[in-house]
Amino acid sequence: MNIILLLIPISLVLLGVGIWAFFWAVNHAQFDDLDTPSLTPLSEDRPAAPDAEEP
Amino acid sequence: MNAQACFHCGEANPDSAPILARVQGRQHAVCCPGCKAAAEWIETLGLADYYRLRSGPAQRHDGVADHAAWDRPALARLHVRSTSADRAQVIVLVDGLRCSACAWLIERALRGIDGVLDVGVNALARRVSLEFDPRRIKLSSLLAALSRLGYVPHPLTAGMIDSQRQRESRAALKRLVVAGLGTMQAMMMAVALYAGVFDGIDPAVREFFRWIGFLVATPVVLYSAQPFFRGAVREWRARRLSMDTPVALAIALIYLASMINVFVGGHEIYFDSVSMFVLFLLLGRHLAMRARHRAGDVVDALARLQPVLAERREAAGYTTIAVHELEAGDIVRVGSGAAIPADGELLGPRCRIDESLLSGESTPIAREPGQALIAGSLVIDGPIEVIVRHIGADTVLAGIVRMVTRAASERPALARLADARAARFVVRVLAATLITALAWAWFDPGRALPAALAVLVVSCPCAFALAVPSALTRAVAVLAQRGVLVVDADALEALARADRFIFDKTGTLTEPNFERARVEVIRGSLEQALGIAAALEQSNSHPLGLALRRAGASAPLKTATALRHVQGAGVEGDIEGIRYRLGRADFSLHAPGADTAGDGDALVLADPDGVIARFPPSEQLRPAAATLIRSLGDAGIKCEILSGDRAARVAHIAGLLAIDEFTAAASPVDKLARLAVLRAQGHVVAMVGDGINDAPVLAAADVAIAIGEGSAMAHAASGILLASSRLESLLEARHVAAEMLVRLKQNLNWALAYNLSAVPLAALGFVPPWLAAIGMSASSIVVILNSLRIGRHATAWPDAPRPVSEAVA
Repeated sequence: MNIILLLIPISLVLLGVGIWAFFWAVNHAQFDDLDTPSLTPLSEDRPAAPDAEEP
Repeated sequence: MNAQACFHCGEANPDSAPILARVQGRQHAVCCPGCKAAAEWIETLGLADYYRLRSGPAQRHDGVADHAAWDRPALARLHVRSTSADRAQVIVLVDGLRCSACAWLIERALRGIDGVLDVGVNALARRVSLEFDPRRIKLSSLLAALSRLGYVPHPLTAGMIDSQRQRESRAALKRLVVAGLGTMQAMMMAVALYAGVFDGIDPAVREFFRWIGFLVATPVVLYSAQPFFRGAVREWRARRLSMDTPVALAIALIYLASMINVFVGGHEIYFDSVSMFVLFLLLGRHLAMRARHRAGDVVDALARLQPVLAERREAAGYTTIAVHELEAGDIVRVGSGAAIPADGELLGPRCRIDESLLSGESTPIAREPGQALIAGSLVIDGPIEVIVRHIGADTVLAGIVRMVTRAASERPALARLADARAARFVVRVLAATLITALAWAWFDPGRALPAALAVLVVSCPCAFALAVPSALTRAVAVLAQRGVLVVDADALEALARADRFIFDKTGTLTEPNFERARVEVIRGSLEQALGIAAALEQSNSHPLGLALRRAGASAPLKTATALRHVQGAGVEGDIEGIRYRLGRADFSLHAPGADTAGDGDALVLADPDGVIARFPPSEQLRPAAATLIRSLGDAGIKCEILSGDRAARVAHIAGLLAIDEFTAAASPVDKLARLAVLRAQGHVVAMVGDGINDAPVLAAADVAIAIGEGSAMAHAASGILLASSRLESLLEARHVAAEMLVRLKQNLNWALAYNLSAVPLAALGFVPPWLAAIGMSASSIVVILNSLRIGRHATAWPDAPRPVSEAVA
C-alpha cells in the first residue's frame, strides 16, 4: 500500500508536465486554427516531377 | 481541364491568338497576360504543384494594383505592429483564398522572399499573418507579391487584428483544461476517501489523500476560477449583485472551509465538489464565448466595407492618403465602382450610388450635388467629388459596426434571466447555510460546520447555471448541422413563440427565372441570343445571372472574353470579335433613359448596332415554399406577404400559396409600419427575407430570418440565417426552437425540485458528504443529458421539390 505514497506524487508531477506542455502548445498557436493544419499534410513540400498528362 | 478555359483562373480563353504560359514543361492556354504572369511566376518559384492540389480555379488576375500608398508612415503605424527594430508583423485578410492549396501556395511563395521571417496562413479565416524585417522589405512589396499570385490583400488595422479575442480564447482554453484535469484528480482522491469511510482506511493514508486533494484543487480555485473572483470584485465595485458574486463566494467558502479542515484535521473536505463546480461553470462560459467570437467575424466583414485609402484634392492634383488622415472639409475623388471613404456631401457631378449597405435597397439611388453620401456605399458612375463631413467613428458605417458589436457581446435575454434566477438562488442557499450553521451551533456545535457545508454542496447552483446555456448551445449546434445559423440566441426563443410569419416575396418565396417563351428577340434567333447571354453571365453569381445561365444551358456554347462587370448595371464582353453588353437598358445601349419599350426591369442584350433581345425576368416558386406555408398553416400560424413588387405579381404568388393577406408595392417604411401594427396587436412576428433588400425591416421584427448567402448586412440584421437556402430548414428550426424551450423549462423545474428536496434534508443533517457530492453532480448531469436530447428525434422533411410548386410564374 505504501507504494501509492510514491506513485501518486509521480502522477502529479506527470500531470504538471502535461499541463505545462499544453500551455506551451496554446501559447504557440497550436489551438488557434484547428481546421487548416489537417489539410497541409496533403500538399507536398517539393515540386513534383513534371506530369506527363494534363493536370 | 478544358483547353477553352484559362489554365490559371478557369475563365474562357480568347479564340484568336491564344496566350500560352509554360508550366511544368507544357504550354497551357490562359485568358490574359495577367494570368500568364501569375502562372509563370508560380512556376519560377517551383510551386506549380499548386495546380494539381487546388480544389477550385484561382482568382482571375487583372494586373497588379499599386500598393505604394501602404508605405506611408501614417498607414503603416495603424496596420503594422513592430515587435523590434528588425521585426514587424502585419495581418492581411486575403480575398480569393479558397482552399488549402491556396494557403500552401501563399506560404511557400512568401517564405521565399528575402526579408520575410514567418508566414502563417489560416484558410478558414482567410487571414495571412506575415512577420517581416521592415529594413529589408517594404509592406507594399509584400502586398504586391500577394496580388501577383492573384489574391487581393486587405491589411487589417491593429484594432481588427483579433489579438484580444485570441488572448481571451487562449486563456479560457487553459483555464478549462486546468479545471478539467484538476477535477479528475480531486475526484480520484475523493473516491478513495469515500471508499475509506466504508472499508476503513489507514489514518496516515487518509491524511495523505486529503493533502493531495488540497494540492490539486488549489490551482483550480486560484487559477481557473479567477474570472469569477474578478467578476465578483467588479460587481462589488459597481454595487450590483449578479451571478459572479454568489459563485465566487461559494467557491471561496467551500475551498477555505475544506482547507481549514485539512489543516486542523476536521472531517469534511469538498475539493472535488469545488473543482467540479468551477469546471461546469467554465464549460458554460467557454461555449458562450465561442458563439460570441463567431459573431465577431461579421463585424470584420462590415468594417472591411470602408476603404482605407482616399484620393484627396490638393493644390497639385490628387494625392492618395489613408482614410484616417482625412479631415472634415477635405475634398476627395471617388472613382467608378469604388466605395466612398467618409460621410460627406456630393460636390458633383450627379451620379448614382449603391447604398445597399444602409438601406438594403440594391437598386442604385440618384444623387444630386449637395446631397449627403454615406461612407461605404458604392459609386456606380464616377468619378465624383465629395466634401468630407464626418470621418472615422462618426460615420454611419462605424455606427452600424458598433451596433453589431454590441449585439454580439450581449448575453441572450434567456441566459440573463437564468443568471438572475441562479444568483437569487445562491443568495438563498447562502442564507440557508448560515441559518443551518447557527441552528446547529445552538444544538450541537460539533455538527454545525459539516451540516452547513452539506447544504452548500448538496444544493446545486450548477444545475441552475447550466439549465439555460446547455439547452441553448445544444439547439444552436443541432441547427448549425442542418444549415441554420443562429446569429442571435434570443432569436430562437422568439422563433418558438412566433405566431405570425411575414415573407418577402422576391428571393424568399420565389427565385428569378427567364422563360424562353417570353424572351423578346429583335435580331437573330432565340438560341443565339440565349447563348450570348449565358456566355456573358458565365462568371456571375447573382441570382439573375444564374437564372440566365440556366435558361441558356441548351443553347450552343459560346465563350466571352474581356468580361467586365459594372456593378448595378450589367456586364460587357467580346464574343467572336463583337462587343456585347447585357444589363439595364441604359447601360446596354450606352444611353441613359433609353429604351422605354417593354418592362423597365428587363435585361437588354445589345451590340454596337442596337438591341438584340430583351429578357423579361419572371419568377418561379422556390421548391419548398408551398410545403412551408402549408405546414405553418397546419400549426396555426398565419402567414402574409409583404413585398415591394407590383400588386398583380404579389397577388398571383399569394394565390398560388393560398396566402390571403398580402401587401404589395410596400416601401421599407410601409413594411416597418405593418410590422409595428402587428406587434402592437400582441403578435410575435417572424420576418423572412433575403436580407439584401430588407435589412432594416428584418431588424425591426421579433425574429429575423434571412435566406441564402445574403450580404454582410443580412448576417448582421438577422437573428437566424438559413445558409442552405432550403426553405424547409425553417420548419426544422421552428421545431428545434420549440423543443429547446420545453427542455429548458424541464431543466429549470428539475433544478428547483431537486434543490427544494435536497437542501432541507442536508440542513437537518441527514445527508452524508458522499451523497451530497453525488447528488450535486447527478443533478447537473441530468440537466446536461436532458439538453442533449434536443434534436434527437429529427423530423424528416421532403427534400425533393414537390410537383405543385414547379415552374409557376
